[in-house]
Amino acid sequence: MAELWNLIILNPMLNGLIALSSVLGGSFGLAIIALTVIVRLILLPLTLKQLKSTKALQGMQPKIQELQKKYGKNQQKLQQEMMKLYKEAGVNPLGCIWPMLVQFPVWIALYQSIMRALATTPESLLNLFQHLYSWGVVAQAIPLDSHFLWLNLGSPDSTLILAIIVGGSMWVQQKMVTAPSADPRQKSMNSMMLLMMPFMFGLFTLMFPSGLSLFWAVSNVIGIGIQYWITGWGYLRRGTSAQVVTKLGGKGGITKRP
Amino acid sequence: MAVNPSARSQNLSFPADGEWEYPITAPSGGGLSCSQTSASVAIYGTPAVDEALVFSGGYNGKVYALNASARSQNLDFPQMRDNEWFYPKTSEVIGAIVGSPVISEDAIYVTSSNGKVYCLDKHFGDKKWESDVLGDKLWSTPCIEGDKVYISTFDGHLYALSAEDGSITWSFAIAYPKIGFVSSPAVYEGTIFAGSFDGNLYAVEIGESEPLWNFTGGNCFWAAPVVSNSTVYAGCLNGNIYAIDATNGTELWSFDVGSPIVVSPILVDDSLVVAAESGNVYVINPKTGIGERIRNPGNDNKPTINALVQASPCAQEGIVYIRGQDNCLYALDIEQGRVIWKFPLTTQ
Repeated sequence: MAELWNLIILNPMLNGLIALSSVLGGSFGLAIIALTVIVRLILLPLTLKQLKSTKALQGMQPKIQELQKKYGKNQQKLQQEMMKLYKEAGVNPLGCIWPMLVQFPVWIALYQSIMRALATTPESLLNLFQHLYSWGVVAQAIPLDSHFLWLNLGSPDSTLILAIIVGGSMWVQQKMVTAPSADPRQKSMNSMMLLMMPFMFGLFTLMFPSGLSLFWAVSNVIGIGIQYWITGWGYLRRGTSAQVVTKLGGKGGITKRP
Repeated sequence: MAVNPSARSQNLSFPADGEWEYPITAPSGGGLSCSQTSASVAIYGTPAVDEALVFSGGYNGKVYALNASARSQNLDFPQMRDNEWFYPKTSEVIGAIVGSPVISEDAIYVTSSNGKVYCLDKHFGDKKWESDVLGDKLWSTPCIEGDKVYISTFDGHLYALSAEDGSITWSFAIAYPKIGFVSSPAVYEGTIFAGSFDGNLYAVEIGESEPLWNFTGGNCFWAAPVVSNSTVYAGCLNGNIYAIDATNGTELWSFDVGSPIVVSPILVDDSLVVAAESGNVYVINPKTGIGERIRNPGNDNKPTINALVQASPCAQEGIVYIRGQDNCLYALDIEQGRVIWKFPLTTQ
């Protein structure tokens, strides 16, 4: 299984990343940015599908909340009514999950490629040779130049700059899609999640090689761009939940795009 | 750890006469941890031994000199009167040390991941000189010949430094394409040999600006080659050991050991001993390239030793000692072609 993974996904991506570095003047930082953009573009149809499903589900929130109020004590009835609602609206509640699941292996491979290519220790450099193609362009790039801007891509960023960029961009991306809730418990949970993930990734940035953090930062920025393209600034600019619900519903949350 | 072969062959309890162990640790902590603790230091290079002194470079960026007598008595480290020291002498560190230290007369030479070569006084650990930054990081083991220190770098340079003051007296780089050197250099009769990242073994006459020849293997020559009687013996990651004419780069023979070779071969009497990463050890006739595998004492279908081999073997009086990745030391009698004992290096 591991060999199949290496053969089909990891090795092509790893060699592609190193070849890109060679083509881009030996800059591994630029190669990480370029590959992240390429992978994001390839996965764009899936991302769009995921975002549209999410948006449609969010547009249905007022109706779902109504149903919850109405059938809150009868869970079975509530489920039935909700399924009926989804059916009428032509929305699959799991529609936003499977595109995300399909993307996971690609992100894992990208993560592994960056970590392997950095080869920060002797054993990791030795291990890297087991995955390299006999392309001249790959051999010329090894070992990779780990310096990019102020960063040593093989070490954590000792300044807080990258941690702030990663955490901040993740917060913006999440804020754009997190629907404010009228339910105090849900509201509290949303607020916590909105802060916790960016905080955790900011912390990871201080612990993991900055090459990986660069990938997170670029990926977040692209994610914000795609999100903006689909929904504008979304919930980042919006105020109360009532406004949100009205606006999103009015903008066509569950209406199909032409 | 110091192991007495005689005691191990008799299976005496550790430590027997002359045996000792000393954990090299360094402060660790930071990150999410609030308190500072100490952690074992990774050591990649083979220690260098000069009578009672053992020199070792740590991945924590410090060089250590240990005295066998002081360590046997388990005294506090360092015992200055026994010529024990560490460098730098403060809490500072130089870059991570990967290559082996090399002793020459009263000096020891180490390379560092900060791209510099350091020359230290053997007895007191004082710095005699440090070179300019020669590359992004230096992981190779320097080679000392006469009054010169030879270094290969990841950015594709070979350097000759003055052993006196560390100044660069000659440098060489492959003009095009720009390829780095992955292996440590070997010097033989005025020619330097080193493996490159593109799967070539280069021979460069010292003082020249063009390579004498280059030999293409199926993969990288990760470990430093060994040169004897005008023949270069180089292990390749494609699993072949090649014998190459040192004068013109012609292949004399090759021998497939079945798995990557990541450590240098060694010449023991009239035999070439090659350890494959898989754990198989071969004894090869260096003239003919005909060889045999040393059999596993317990199961003939298994590799010679039941562990990966990524550390350089050494030999004494016809016995080859190999540390396996299972953290055991294996002793192999080359003449008899068998493993004579095995000793776990984790006694505590």
